[in-house]
Amino acid sequence: MTSVEITEYRIEHLRDRLAREETAVLGVRVETHGARVVVRGWVPDEQCRSAVLRLAGEELAGLDWYDDLTVSHPAPPDRAEELS
Amino acid sequence: MIRVAAVGDIHLGPDSAGLLRPAFDTLGTCADVLLLAGDLTRHGTPEEARVVAAEVAGLPVPVVAVLGNHDYQSDREQDVTRELRAAGVHVLDGEGIALDLAGTRVGIAGTKGFCGGFAGRSGSEFGEPEMKAFIRHSRRCAEALGRALGELGGAACALRIALTHFAPVPDTLAGEPREIYPFLGSYLLAEAMDEQGADLAVHGHAHLGTEHGMTAGGIRVRNVAMPVIDRAFAVYHLPVDGDAPPVPDGHTGSRPG
Repeated sequence: MTSVEITEYRIEHLRDRLAREETAVLGVRVETHGARVVVRGWVPDEQCRSAVLRLAGEELAGLDWYDDLTVSHPAPPDRAEELS
Repeated sequence: MIRVAAVGDIHLGPDSAGLLRPAFDTLGTCADVLLLAGDLTRHGTPEEARVVAAEVAGLPVPVVAVLGNHDYQSDREQDVTRELRAAGVHVLDGEGIALDLAGTRVGIAGTKGFCGGFAGRSGSEFGEPEMKAFIRHSRRCAEALGRALGELGGAACALRIALTHFAPVPDTLAGEPREIYPFLGSYLLAEAMDEQGADLAVHGHAHLGTEHGMTAGGIRVRNVAMPVIDRAFAVYHLPVDGDAPPVPDGHTGSRPG
């Protein structure tokens, strides 16, 4: 098996691209879950989500992978915390 | 009572214009100040910084910010700072500012901070030049934060807040992989806060962490990374000496000076 085929190296290559390319995300986790790879975490908007999925599709091609991404919908708070 | 709004890790890009403004426009009714805990941009470009600046320009409350690691990515942090300051944002880099908020003098000390790890599991300023420089940067950020808090203490501030991007305690990292804790913060920040005193510490950076934590000396710590608080900003009500005590809820606590 070559390094190109080893899943953990491919995961790190994806994480490296997620950080360096237009997405600039460090907080998205990419890890094996059973026999599959999961891409999960928070992204600031739909454009970023699309870019993350595109990069994942490129780097994880041929692997069984799925995503569980959350897109930000920033609303004003409905409460405050009282610090006594 | 002072109402502190805070958020970090908003990660605005060129397509984000207007995303947060509707929520920020409500600040006048619920807060006295807005703190931005770094990672305001994605790549740290002036273009992205202008988007951030437009989101906070002309708000009815003062805005105080520190930069985060993303804001350094393009080696344009000075330009990012300049864009934010042009919009009236107080950008702190190892310094403090005293603001008169609702008749109370409130001091805010800010630094990006850096990583290195937490007590018992931290790096040392030892060995290769790269390793020494890594830890030295963290130490210098913490020292500057401590100096700023000390100066604010001497400036008759009724309340003092420590604003950082990196985390001062591991409590608020719960949810992150433990293996990366040393890249998420440094105990040196908490040590500086505990030595000089603060009423609240606010940070970001750890998207998978939790909101609530506390330093060993008892200072409340809040991780306000937007993915953590899951709203445009969090609001904390800080009592000022002389305020009526809150309705008892069965808990007791003390506030370090």
